Amino acid sequence: MSSVNSKRGGPLQGVRVVELTKIWAGPETGKQLAYLGAEVIRIESEGAIDGTRILGAKDFNNAPGHQAVNPQKLSAQIDIKNSKGIELILDLIRESDMVIENLRPGAMERLGLGYDVIKSVNPNVICVSMSMYGNDGPLAYQTGYAPCFAAIGGLTALVGYEGETPTGINIRYGDPTYGAAGTFAGLVALLHRRNTGKGQFVDVSAVETMTTMIADSVMEHAINGVEHQCDGNRHSEMAPHNLYRCSGDDWVSIAVASEAAWISLADAMGTPALAEDSRFKSLADRKANENALDGLVGAWTSGRSVGDVVSQLQARGIAAGKSQTSIDMISDSLLWSRGFYPEVTEFDGTVRPTVGPGAKLTRSAAITEGAPALGKHTAYVLGEILGLSSEEQEQLAAAGITR
Amino acid sequence: MSALGKYKILELAEDVSGEYCGKLLADFGAEVIKVERPGCGSPTRHMSPLAAEGADNEKSGLFAYLNTNKHSVVLDLATETGLKTLVRLVGQVDIVLDDHPDGWLKSVGLDPHSFNDKWPSQVLCSITAYGQNPPDDHRHAQDLTVFHSSGWGYHTPGGSYDERPPLKGPGRFLVSYETGMDAALTIVAALYEREASGKGQFIDVAKNEVMASRSDYVLAQFVNGDMDARPTRDAYDLRGPAGNFQCKDGYVYMWMAAPNEWTAFKKLLGEPECFNTYPPMWLMMELTPERIAETRHHLREWLKDKGKDEAAAAAQKLGLPLVALNNPRDLERSPQYIHRNYFARVEHPVLGATLYPTVPYKMSETPAEIRSPAPLLGQHTLEKLAHVGGEKR
Repeated sequence: MSSVNSKRGGPLQGVRVVELTKIWAGPETGKQLAYLGAEVIRIESEGAIDGTRILGAKDFNNAPGHQAVNPQKLSAQIDIKNSKGIELILDLIRESDMVIENLRPGAMERLGLGYDVIKSVNPNVICVSMSMYGNDGPLAYQTGYAPCFAAIGGLTALVGYEGETPTGINIRYGDPTYGAAGTFAGLVALLHRRNTGKGQFVDVSAVETMTTMIADSVMEHAINGVEHQCDGNRHSEMAPHNLYRCSGDDWVSIAVASEAAWISLADAMGTPALAEDSRFKSLADRKANENALDGLVGAWTSGRSVGDVVSQLQARGIAAGKSQTSIDMISDSLLWSRGFYPEVTEFDGTVRPTVGPGAKLTRSAAITEGAPALGKHTAYVLGEILGLSSEEQEQLAAAGITR
Repeated sequence: MSALGKYKILELAEDVSGEYCGKLLADFGAEVIKVERPGCGSPTRHMSPLAAEGADNEKSGLFAYLNTNKHSVVLDLATETGLKTLVRLVGQVDIVLDDHPDGWLKSVGLDPHSFNDKWPSQVLCSITAYGQNPPDDHRHAQDLTVFHSSGWGYHTPGGSYDERPPLKGPGRFLVSYETGMDAALTIVAALYEREASGKGQFIDVAKNEVMASRSDYVLAQFVNGDMDARPTRDAYDLRGPAGNFQCKDGYVYMWMAAPNEWTAFKKLLGEPECFNTYPPMWLMMELTPERIAETRHHLREWLKDKGKDEAAAAAQKLGLPLVALNNPRDLERSPQYIHRNYFARVEHPVLGATLYPTVPYKMSETPAEIRSPAPLLGQHTLEKLAHVGGEKR
């Protein structure tokens, strides 16, 4: 077996990544690299199994959460709590271009996989280390999950109904964003290495990644001392800017960004005079009378089909779209026609769609494989990459170090 | 040392997603030539936050943040001369970056379909809301509408708010920042390949798909059938007592889902007797509305006389993921952000010295850095167009 991904293509074909990650953010970085064509090898062991292989899972392989975020990767089962296992991992790192980890700060060092050790076996490797607060500092001891990142980073306080306890963005938000920051920084380091031969250590902070998603709000405070609170769906430079109920339980988002769009909207609503109404003429007028404005728009959408509202407004150049449910998402014909849901072959041979990447290239990597069965590629790693004989592999397995 | 110092980028983008992408690359040392329209320059120059004083084109904090380390060249793409200069500039760079709606690139002579025929070694990246050639009902978008078409909006805040409107995302431009980051990482991957192949390529980034991909953990399970998709607002939710809670000086967020977190929670609250009847694994197997309400009630009571940082420190020491809901002022003063130098003081000729958010990654060899503030409109026109040749402006 030559490089498992040799036929996939993509810009990172030939790049090998070792992943020591758990849950979602670290695995997401690996997934993004795999989607660009890298060979991504997850090091796993039953003694320190990733929670996503257990949570809601029938068994380690029939694990929906794991399958969702680990397509296109390889899995090698090597015991990380055994010194011979660590030696094998270091041997693999010697043959690799990048290491990604999102264990707790200090955990890699305790395992004998600190950057100093890694650098001593492979001085040119890129090490991407991911943690909630970054690797060091007065609060680095604190831990949390994605909604904690969003709270600390300043996002949660900005989402909610006016005058109430903030609700925050949906609880699922955060890990892939933070994963993308790791992917970007890791790729910059990889390109630098291609040009200079030099590896480096990359330390990614989840909470700072979140803050970059509201950087202009932070700048606003720095410049004018303005501190926004949650304010429903308000936007300082657009009105209308809200969600409006249509027929049934459907909602439409409408964002009016220019005077021309406002005149068109008033016309679409059958009340062109509204555009000249002194309450609504300029943006400042509309902001000052926004509740009344929202009432009028909401009265117009109410009872209409969301599809009709969207087509009518889009035809007039107004930004409007359905607030899509999970059913809408998986039946969205545009997403399907653009290949956003590629079909992958799962560990048991079934073929199912999964979620593709956010960007496409002229020469994208083919996305064909689901998440790996636990230890599916141990033999590939030990035999093909490390060059161990079948006898040596059997001894390692017999000693319980690999599976 | 800078990682991207050898690369030149022609930035045609005039909106937040493309400008943010250009900034991410410029902060790593890429030379970014930003093409701006005569007169008013990029529209982001006129978007808030605006300083109280200063020339109209130069007082936007948004533009200042998004355009650090860039060069501004004024070029009128509405004229034949401008378009000819544009073509010459394309020939001198490695990457062309755009975020106008579909069709605009073609209108300035850079049709994505034929771009690499003419410029085989250049990378062209186009950021749009829904990709190239969108259907008629997907032509016009803002961050709000993409947040909602990508599945995030309907599920924010989530269940139990069914009668009230679903919400926008945090801040004004989260969708744009997310997309800019994906565009940047894809561009770097394309450059990596180009070092070996010598070939450029076209990158098509759709905001809607970037955002949808950010929910892959649930969306993949909906589309492959592992989870049942349903038209309800709670479809992305996790059940349990986690949430935001008021305390003395603001709010905290508490996560609690595992048995060790339950142990820490009880200890933090002083082991209230009522919790003795709870099964040890209740968070995983036996969630009931009563238990969720009771634990939340006790936490609210405990938080009444606690500050958010004080509460977080006490909880974290016991292993409970409880954290403060920060606002920008908290972040500027955060000992952790200060320790990591997350904010950089940047001196801008009009805005003066201001603290800028920087980047969330520390690089041991090639750190990102702000070497120069955002350019004044047309600040580099003469310098950058001098060697393009043959043009009078």
